[in-house]
Amino acid sequence: MAAIQAIELSKSFQHFQVLNRVSFEVKEGECYALFGPNGAGKTTLLRILATLHRPTSGRFEMNGYDGLRQKMKVRESIFLISHGSYLYDDLSVLENIRFAIGLRGGNPTASQIKRALDRVGIGAFSSLKSRHLSAGMKKRLSIAKAMLVQPKVLLLDEAYASLDERGVDMMNTYIREVTREGMTVFITAHDRAKTAEVAHRAGVLNRGELRELVVSELLTAHALF
Amino acid sequence: MHFFNVIRWIAWKDLLSELRNRENISSMFFFALIVILIFSFSFSLDPKTSKELMPGIIWIAFGFTGIIGLGKSFLAEVHNDCMEYFQIVPAPKGAIYLGKFAGNALFMLIVEVILFPLFILFFNLDVLEKIPMILLIFTAATIGLSALGTLFSALTVQIRAREVMFPILLLPLAVPIFIGAVESTRGVFSGDPLPLYSDWIKLLIVFDLIFMVVSFWVFEFLLDY
Amino acid sequence: MVASRFISKLQRYEGWFGIASGLLIMVGLYLGLVTSSPDYYQGEVVRIMYIHVPAAQSAMLAYTVLFGGSLWYLWKRDPVVDNMCHAAAGIGIFFTSIALVTGSIWAKPTWNTWWTWDPRLISFAIMLLILVGYVMLRTFLEDKEKEATYAAILAIVGFIDLPIIHFSVEWWRTLHQPLSISTRGVSIASDMLIPLLLMSIGFYLLFTYMLMVRTQMLYLQHLLEAKRGRMLSKVHL
Repeated sequence: MAAIQAIELSKSFQHFQVLNRVSFEVKEGECYALFGPNGAGKTTLLRILATLHRPTSGRFEMNGYDGLRQKMKVRESIFLISHGSYLYDDLSVLENIRFAIGLRGGNPTASQIKRALDRVGIGAFSSLKSRHLSAGMKKRLSIAKAMLVQPKVLLLDEAYASLDERGVDMMNTYIREVTREGMTVFITAHDRAKTAEVAHRAGVLNRGELRELVVSELLTAHALF
Repeated sequence: MHFFNVIRWIAWKDLLSELRNRENISSMFFFALIVILIFSFSFSLDPKTSKELMPGIIWIAFGFTGIIGLGKSFLAEVHNDCMEYFQIVPAPKGAIYLGKFAGNALFMLIVEVILFPLFILFFNLDVLEKIPMILLIFTAATIGLSALGTLFSALTVQIRAREVMFPILLLPLAVPIFIGAVESTRGVFSGDPLPLYSDWIKLLIVFDLIFMVVSFWVFEFLLDY
Repeated sequence: MVASRFISKLQRYEGWFGIASGLLIMVGLYLGLVTSSPDYYQGEVVRIMYIHVPAAQSAMLAYTVLFGGSLWYLWKRDPVVDNMCHAAAGIGIFFTSIALVTGSIWAKPTWNTWWTWDPRLISFAIMLLILVGYVMLRTFLEDKEKEATYAAILAIVGFIDLPIIHFSVEWWRTLHQPLSISTRGVSIASDMLIPLLLMSIGFYLLFTYMLMVRTQMLYLQHLLEAKRGRMLSKVHL
């Protein structure tokens, strides 16, 4: 069954057409990696799939739910990690996690949270106010949230941004593990070598249009765009 | 159940933040204090005019309190894109509204309860036996101001001219609250029997109910596309 | 595209509304200002009612259209409906201002005061503030995707509140100053009724004409921006 199905998605903002009839499909348990130049529309596409923006035309389905008419159902089964960290400066790491997941209806135990924080490498910082976190630590915190939420589809905008090399490996280990367990992962990235380690499929978004790639191209092609 | 948990999480988060930095309550309190001082200099208050003007002055002070405090209600959410999280989280948007509303109403009430004894002191008000009724009026008017104020705060928080737009939108629509609050407060202070001013309290309560329901319903559209 | 068919229908029929309203207003003004009788108590100055009352009526029509359109927009998300709401607000400001200014001009010779704290005048003044706030919100909102939705929310809340505002001001006024003077104090003679009716209908038609024209303007403006966007995105990179 297709976990993500996009059908002729187009998006224009006030002064700009960003996506032009983008269609693709991602199966359950697959990791799809999207490349493309800055400003090509990768983030916009991800945000539409996350039900943040309404597409100008076209439709999409996430886990079988209509992205436009069954938004709540879609939101229950996906998790987005994007530019915004969704953190409150005055709250500690632990409090932020409990709040974010509490809003979703979850109630992770203290030990579950500790385990997730340890896995992403910030276990020592659970009482630190999030205003003191670096960008990389905030990214790790978002991954810890994803581990606790266990969505059916994980949307990762700039998967490796802000992460140091151990962080990048940790991310890849996580992606490998969850795709094996059936989670679908959709990432945008710029690091071809690291992405090739985990991606089952890949594509390039350029000037609003999507071109499918063979994963081996990630390592062999001279330039993708 | 999830619905009430969301309200609790939001109220918890706001209370925790406020306890940590006390920014909202202190700015509300000091602003109201300044208003009181300016009024006491502007009018020569013999006991008779004092009785006439007091209700108006009190509610002008509380009104400014509301503008300062309520206007900042979603300020923490603008940082780190937390408003976006409210959009994609699978939580009922009306519950998010109620959680914010509850926190706002509570903060405003706390400031009013701290300020009122100062009014009694500075202006020699002889109203100690009437405290329960006064508290009822304060609560009813504060609920109305918070109901509208929380809504308009969400509407204006992302505008650069937020501090100007918020009072421009709120004050005309809050006219019934001010009329009801001032008239019922005046009734209590003058020692009138309850039936003489109970209509004003009923006005406040009806207003509260209508606009809590309307704002609750409308928030679904506000926090979504 | 369905939207442009509706827009071209607006374009086709707007002229009729314009002409009809112009005719009715001209006839109404002639009858009202020249041939109808002056009021028994208020004299010639009552003639301002032929502008004041229709303007107030059209202002309320604009406010109602804004409310209905906003509900419709939140339901169907039709951008043309949103254009109509935006247009209705601006036109509402126009008619409300006329109603307030003519109300003030009426008050001065009649009660020797520029402003009477009459509950209806107060409600109109607040309505003006709400409409201005609406247009300001739309102008200052930088996130254009949200503009239509937020504006619709404001319009709906404002419309529901206006009757409550009116009642509370009226109660307050009767409490503090019995309504001994009122702008309703005009006995309508029969030869006043016809020009008043003509002016009312004429103003309604004028409102409709202005709404049709302004809605098209806003629609075309958005269309132009979208076209420019599509051209720009082909040129860049």
